Amino acid sequence: MSDSGGPDVTQDLRPPWDEDPDDLYEHAPCGYLTTLPDGTIVRVNQTFLSWTGYTRGELVGHRRFRDLLTSGGQIYHETHYAPLLSMQDEVHELAFDVVCSDGRHLPTLVNSVLSRAATGQPRAVRTTVFNATDRRQYEKELLLARQIAEASERRVRVLQQIVADLAAAPTEAEVAEAVVRAPESAFGAASSSIYLVDDERDVIYAVASTDPTTGNWDDMPRSSDRAVARVADRGDLHVVNSVTDAREHFPDLVDSMRRSGRTTVVLLPLTTGPTDEQAGIQTLGVLAFSFKGDRPLTDGELRVVRLLGQQAGQALDRARLYDELRRREERSKFLAETTRSLDELHRLLPRTRRVVDRVVPEIADWAELRLHVGTTPVVEDAGGPRPDEELLTQRLGKVAASGEPVFAVDGDQLDCSVLPLTARGLVLGTLALRMAPDRRGAAAERAFLIELADRAGLALENARLYEQERQIARTLQRSLLAGDLPSGDTRFAVETHYQAAAHDLEVGGDWFDAFLITRDKLAVVVGDVVGRGIEAATTMGQLRSAVRALASNATGPARLIEGLDRFVERVESARMATVAYVEIDLTGGEVAYSCAGHLPPLLQEPAGSPEYLMQGRSAPLGSKAGNRVRTEHRRRLPAGSRLLLYTDGLIERRTRPIDKGFELLAREYARRRDAPLQGLAATLADSLVGRDHSDDVCMLCLTLGTEERIERTIGADRMQIALLRADLRAWLVAHEVEPGCRDAVLLACSEAVANAIEHGYRDDPFGMIDVVATVTTDAVEVRVSDRGTWRGAVSDVARGRGLQLIRESMDQVLFDRSDGTTVTMRRAREVE
Amino acid sequence: MEFTRGGRPVPMGRLDRWVTFSTFGDAELVSLTGEIDLANAPEIGKAIVERIETAGKVLIDLTTVSFLDSAGVRLLDALVGDLDDHGKPTRLVVGKTGAARMTLQLCAFREDVLATDLDRAAAEIGS
Repeated sequence: MSDSGGPDVTQDLRPPWDEDPDDLYEHAPCGYLTTLPDGTIVRVNQTFLSWTGYTRGELVGHRRFRDLLTSGGQIYHETHYAPLLSMQDEVHELAFDVVCSDGRHLPTLVNSVLSRAATGQPRAVRTTVFNATDRRQYEKELLLARQIAEASERRVRVLQQIVADLAAAPTEAEVAEAVVRAPESAFGAASSSIYLVDDERDVIYAVASTDPTTGNWDDMPRSSDRAVARVADRGDLHVVNSVTDAREHFPDLVDSMRRSGRTTVVLLPLTTGPTDEQAGIQTLGVLAFSFKGDRPLTDGELRVVRLLGQQAGQALDRARLYDELRRREERSKFLAETTRSLDELHRLLPRTRRVVDRVVPEIADWAELRLHVGTTPVVEDAGGPRPDEELLTQRLGKVAASGEPVFAVDGDQLDCSVLPLTARGLVLGTLALRMAPDRRGAAAERAFLIELADRAGLALENARLYEQERQIARTLQRSLLAGDLPSGDTRFAVETHYQAAAHDLEVGGDWFDAFLITRDKLAVVVGDVVGRGIEAATTMGQLRSAVRALASNATGPARLIEGLDRFVERVESARMATVAYVEIDLTGGEVAYSCAGHLPPLLQEPAGSPEYLMQGRSAPLGSKAGNRVRTEHRRRLPAGSRLLLYTDGLIERRTRPIDKGFELLAREYARRRDAPLQGLAATLADSLVGRDHSDDVCMLCLTLGTEERIERTIGADRMQIALLRADLRAWLVAHEVEPGCRDAVLLACSEAVANAIEHGYRDDPFGMIDVVATVTTDAVEVRVSDRGTWRGAVSDVARGRGLQLIRESMDQVLFDRSDGTTVTMRRAREVE
Repeated sequence: MEFTRGGRPVPMGRLDRWVTFSTFGDAELVSLTGEIDLANAPEIGKAIVERIETAGKVLIDLTTVSFLDSAGVRLLDALVGDLDDHGKPTRLVVGKTGAARMTLQLCAFREDVLATDLDRAAAEIGS
């Protein structure tokens, strides 16, 4: 535009009628304003006045252009319009809202030109004002349309994400988790919750919510009047638009809507089945979401909401099938594992315990197993809290009597299922359990429980039978092993020891026996029958009887073993049994022995090292491949010799070669050469196998003849005094020392040892005490020495009495305290 | 299962191997048997004290004791002394000969509390 205000054309066209320039100015299709540089209006056209409702008089000379603008416009005028105008002399298409005389806002576009005097001083501003009302409207609509498009796109994106999440959600819980987030991100809901329908229990229960502080989370029957149940029943979307609306249709919503300030609530059934027909539709759950304030949902949004309901419903359906499959797999895995883990234990009580431990906490939070076997019922329980005792007892009685299971049902006060444990048509006991709350699908669960009870029943019945057999085998073995062994003969002494394997194994086939064949001939035998349990115990008994029978007829060990070979031909279970058999001539001290596949006896003569008797060896009884030429070996043993017969449990270890076992046994045996015979076998077993042994150990230790001089070494342990006394007593008896003298020696010796323990080794539990006794026709002499510390005069009254007893009971007593303490005591024998 | 013939000492839980209790007339009868020594005397003593606390008269039968050492004598001495202090009549029944009699004699145990026969001992304390 130029200063003249006319169009900038090279040549004017003539219009078909005369244009009055004034009229053109006044009624041009835009407003004209001429103002002074300070903005004071000096001229205005009619068009502007008509648009704004001002009169010319109100404006000209009275108002500046900026006075007509909204307050935001005035700021814009100051910050943009005025500076631009003074810099460029013109501004174009600035948008201002003009405040009309009645307060209306008129959207306009403004162009202004600043004309200057020849001096360059600003002279006037000419402004055209275009009415932009419509244009502004278009813009608004465009913006809205864009917003709607964007919102819809976001919603679609959110829904796509949800559909993708749903496809990947394998469980109901995960589906619920994916769905419950949807309304917030897709529609801007304030909160949402999801409920699922449980067909089995005929209830609807809440599973997830974005705002657990609102609403009612109790399970509701499907027939409930609550909004969620009604919508689930109808299977169609319902929108509650106001509290009033809620009060009319779903009064249960009113409170929580009021409390949480919600006015719009959408209840969306999650459905599956054909979308086109109503008939086949199944409602699996309900998604409820709500908005703060009014939130009318467009048809498009409602379509999307319905779609969400279908998608979620299908995902739930899929998840349920998957859940069911997974549960079935879990159940069969659980059953298989239970059977296997019960097989690991043989005995009744551990098996009972294991059943309960398997069940809790995996499938129940409390369980109790009762077995009505034996005199006192077996009861094992786990978990808690215990249910009501009286109700439980009633139900247990009912199940035990009928043999039929009773399952917990809804509203059950006891809330426990009780299953009979049966085997071969008999009710052995009951398994009561309270299912963990997340176990659902009652029909499948019932079948599972019945199967579980069947398996447990069978396993427990087997354990009971095992227990019975084991008891019989034990009794049998006990009666065989604990039978009378010869004693009271001063020419020999026998010590035996048997210890069963740890870990509750069945009775083994290890055995020993000792008997007098004639008045002067003793037989000792240790054997091992193949196998375990009642059969091994029976075979052992037969073999033992066979040995006794054969010994009285046979002449020597080799012939006896041959006899056993014939015996094995008739008693197949004894085949491959091993036997070490020794006959001892008590008058001459000669022994004859033969080993049929058995470990060699270990001999300790009074002098020298222990020695394994390696002669007279041949194959196990009835062996088909081994050397069955039975031989025997004879040798004379000096008085005081000790012979040890044993079974492989004593030396065989998986963790060490058998040579090491032999070596170790010989060493331990030698170390104890002076230990009292009593308890020797047990302490040997202790140091060689300890308590955690995996095999039975059977031992027989024989001492021959009477030593002229008895030498014993014992530990500084009060308990060992009695053992020493037993040996010493036997030795005194063997030497026919008179009772009075014998008692006196025993008393003095005991007191001297006690003194060594209580004083010499007061601070040393590992100290050793040597006892040596000799006998002549005139007297008995005993020497007791320790290497402990002497603490000066005895102030202890009790020990004082001990010393007094030693002095009173012996004829001569000598204390030597040069190296530890040695007490030498002598007592004359009584003249008869 | 484990059993040893002759074997190692019976655990202290099995005190009834050495001491049993009954009544004889209106007296508490404590019967000791086997070998009483340093190893078992303290436990036996404890069991006896517990039992005779409320008794009015006490008879201690040692006729089947096969060995008695100074610890056993100490125990009997304490028991008799305690019963005496409480004015409770008591007698030890010990065979005329034997290990127990020998030990008690060697210790010069109070003859007035010793008897050789249970009936006579009971009569002496008016039971």
